[in-house]
Amino acid sequence: MFAALEPYIQFALKAMAREATYRFEVFTSIGSLAVRVYLLRVVWVALYAHNAAPDGVLLHQIITYSAVALLMGLILDIDQTSLLHDKLHDGSIVVDFMKPISVPLYLFADGTGEVLFHGALIVPSLAIALLIVHIDVPSAAVFGAFALSFLLGYLVGFCLNFTLNCIAFWTLEISAVQLMLTWVTDLLGGGIVPLLFFPAGFQQAIASLPFASMYSTPLLIYIGKITPDHYLQAMGLQVFWIAVLGVIATIIWRAGARRVVVQGG
Amino acid sequence: MPIIETRDLRKSFRSVVRGEGLGGAVGALFSRRYEEKVAVENVNFSVEAGEVVGYIGPNGAGKSTTIKMLTGILVPTSGTIEVAGLVPYEKRRQNARNIGVVFGQRSQLYWDLPLRESFELLRAIYRVPRDRFRENLAHFVEILDLERFMATPVRQLSLGERMRGDFAAALLHDPKIVYLDEPTIGLDVVAKEAIRAFIADINKRLGTTVILTTHDLADVERLCRRIILIDEGTVIYDGRLERLRDEYGTHRTLVVHLKDPQPDFALPGVDVEHGEPPMVMLRFDRRTTTAEALIRRVTERYAITDVAIVEPEMEDIVRRIYLEGYQKPPARATEA
Repeated sequence: MFAALEPYIQFALKAMAREATYRFEVFTSIGSLAVRVYLLRVVWVALYAHNAAPDGVLLHQIITYSAVALLMGLILDIDQTSLLHDKLHDGSIVVDFMKPISVPLYLFADGTGEVLFHGALIVPSLAIALLIVHIDVPSAAVFGAFALSFLLGYLVGFCLNFTLNCIAFWTLEISAVQLMLTWVTDLLGGGIVPLLFFPAGFQQAIASLPFASMYSTPLLIYIGKITPDHYLQAMGLQVFWIAVLGVIATIIWRAGARRVVVQGG
Repeated sequence: MPIIETRDLRKSFRSVVRGEGLGGAVGALFSRRYEEKVAVENVNFSVEAGEVVGYIGPNGAGKSTTIKMLTGILVPTSGTIEVAGLVPYEKRRQNARNIGVVFGQRSQLYWDLPLRESFELLRAIYRVPRDRFRENLAHFVEILDLERFMATPVRQLSLGERMRGDFAAALLHDPKIVYLDEPTIGLDVVAKEAIRAFIADINKRLGTTVILTTHDLADVERLCRRIILIDEGTVIYDGRLERLRDEYGTHRTLVVHLKDPQPDFALPGVDVEHGEPPMVMLRFDRRTTTAEALIRRVTERYAITDVAIVEPEMEDIVRRIYLEGYQKPPARATEA
């Protein structure tokens, strides 16, 4: 059993080691996070000076929301499957198909390693963020619900990224679509502004899209805007999106891999 | 029982037909016309365990397509393949354990990792027992002289160093067969020789079967007793290298240094090329005339200071076959 899994554990470990070699990027990502936390605090304080608690979201809640969203971004902003796109682009996917491994599992393991490394950066980032802003700490039960919802949101993001990178089987180039996805998840997913601030009808429409599963759902659980009696419904929607996107990703992967096998790399 | 066997192998690709220019490119987005391109057709060959076979042909002849089918990443359009008792595309992962692959133009090492860690990763991938791994690695480090850059990330290696690393990587799991796709491309003379010596060594010591595709015929002459020549997707010659030389290398060149320059030097029935005066080169068919007879005819008319006989180069033979096609056997001395 271990022998069968060992290559994938190694892939994950090597991915972590690889990320660690880009030391400069590590420092800049922590540094830019500190700057963004500070700027968002300035903006929200200024906005709230003239308008106390829009939609019942208090200043300390919105600052907590923003800071936690930025920390989550350390993980959610990573395209864990970009390796697939790179490999399709330079044709090196061929070499992976010549090895006795499952290629999608390899990609998953590599992405997991990458995410674990960047996830570890949350600790120093959080320490720095706490120097700049106050972050509310919810009860253990709420935090547990948040963590679970965050994991579900991560899986939604994984499926979205994987599907997107599979498109490179046909087009080789996906950076435009990718940029769009980043904007859409940030704006419509509630990564920058809580969806609560949008007009009611629009808010309901986008809240049911998969993007909201990534940021909005876990964050609203964290600041208490989704109450425990709505957890099941909120996380049910997340699970629904994982299932749907998982099926789509599998279909697209199969078609893409078949294309390599039939048409050549 | 051959280790590799292909029967009536055929692979064709469908590609989009595109009009010219921007209009054509935009048009192709909406309506697609496909055309079928045959990459290889009627490829039949079998290879015995322990052979070193040169698989050669001009660019686009179908060499890579064949190699990809042998590794199991391409499915043939029709025909059958068996490699070490397996159908590669049906048992891709199992087949992968039996083979090692080296691409001159593409590395299988992990770009960001030190060479040593790439090897460690390959040990896990191929599940090489640790003792065996240590033994093999120690051996490769020694004969490929890898020690100096084992801790260097692959992206910082020179091409020669990277290729040596790639060879070790392809052979760590003791594959029965290795496919080498232009393994000496871009290397300097010393590095080329080191790689050739390594290939000869593993073939001799471990009995590894080697399929070598290359454009450098010196590789072939040094390593392969047998070659398979492929052109426009079909095998046009399969046999010993010497036989090709015998059949095709029928022309030798007599290089004559004349005592005085002779701008209108001519000899009836002999193909003459003028070199740097006073040198002339006479091309002759060794089956219809001897060097001795030719020299006699020259000396009857001209005063000479020196002669030399030049054997045909493998390069020239193959170039002629690429240009003119292979006729089997050449009907007669075809005078240019």
